[in-house]
Amino acid sequence: MKVAIFPPNSMILADMIERKGHEPLVVQKQMQKKVTSPDLDAPPFNMTEQDPINGLKYAAIEVPSGVRGRMSLFGPIIEEAEAAIIMMEAPYGFGCVGCARSNELTTFSLRKRKIPVLELDYPTSRDQTVEMVYKINTFLDNLNQDINKEE
Amino acid sequence: MLPQKNHPDNEFCHIPMGDGTKVDSNQKGKINRMVVLGPNSSVSSREIVGFLHMLELPLNIRLTCYGANVNGYPKDVLEATRKVRQLDPSHIFIKFRGFPPGDPRRCRAKRGGAREGFHQLEAEYKLLNDVSYAIEHPKHVDLSLPKKVPVNTFVKIVHEIGGNSN
Repeated sequence: MKVAIFPPNSMILADMIERKGHEPLVVQKQMQKKVTSPDLDAPPFNMTEQDPINGLKYAAIEVPSGVRGRMSLFGPIIEEAEAAIIMMEAPYGFGCVGCARSNELTTFSLRKRKIPVLELDYPTSRDQTVEMVYKINTFLDNLNQDINKEE
Repeated sequence: MLPQKNHPDNEFCHIPMGDGTKVDSNQKGKINRMVVLGPNSSVSSREIVGFLHMLELPLNIRLTCYGANVNGYPKDVLEATRKVRQLDPSHIFIKFRGFPPGDPRRCRAKRGGAREGFHQLEAEYKLLNDVSYAIEHPKHVDLSLPKKVPVNTFVKIVHEIGGNSN
């Protein structure tokens, strides 16, 4: 099952999903498509004029092009997702206003899709980490059971 | 004029080398993974790289301070990461990566300073010790705070303890 994660570049979440045999949808995969395709040379030219246009699917024209550019990266992840794990308040998810609005829009779009979503808080102690891993594993096991029922 | 299908300009990304020259990347169809060692891992990054070389798969492997970077075709990379994880399942983590190892657009040997993704890796590294413990000891932990004791009950307890001490 394809599981979207938030923050979309989290190693811990992606690793936990892979351990359970699911496919994590991470932003690195989208970046790889961009940096190895023939259109692009190097930063800062790593955003083409087509990206904000693609982002129009998720945000209105009044929304800054930075948010729409980011949404063109997150968009395929949202559309492909069959389940999602959202970890709020991750310190490395902090960024500029463009990042913050893109993050809000991404989590909103994931919740709106009516797929199974697990919402967590970033752990700050060992007990919280153990509970977080337990919740993730239980959620992923339940996804496996759902697949078996459908079959 | 229609673009030629098999021409390198339409097949590969031109990577600037920083000296005005450009090279064609040979990354079409290839993927990258980072093998990250947790703080209490029983293997070193050098052992990981040695192990990956011994697999004799057509891979581009790079030794790093946190583990290793692996680049190659999906079948080989996934087989290598699956096998390398078995060396120490609870302390070896696999991360996805967009840029290939040593890419001059990101590699710090060309640019100077930490690579952008390294800050995120550094932040997550602080949690890895606890995550490894959680993988080894899967259990439910009740994080809810204990309920407050009503005042009357508290007064009774105080009287009981006070009465016992007298």
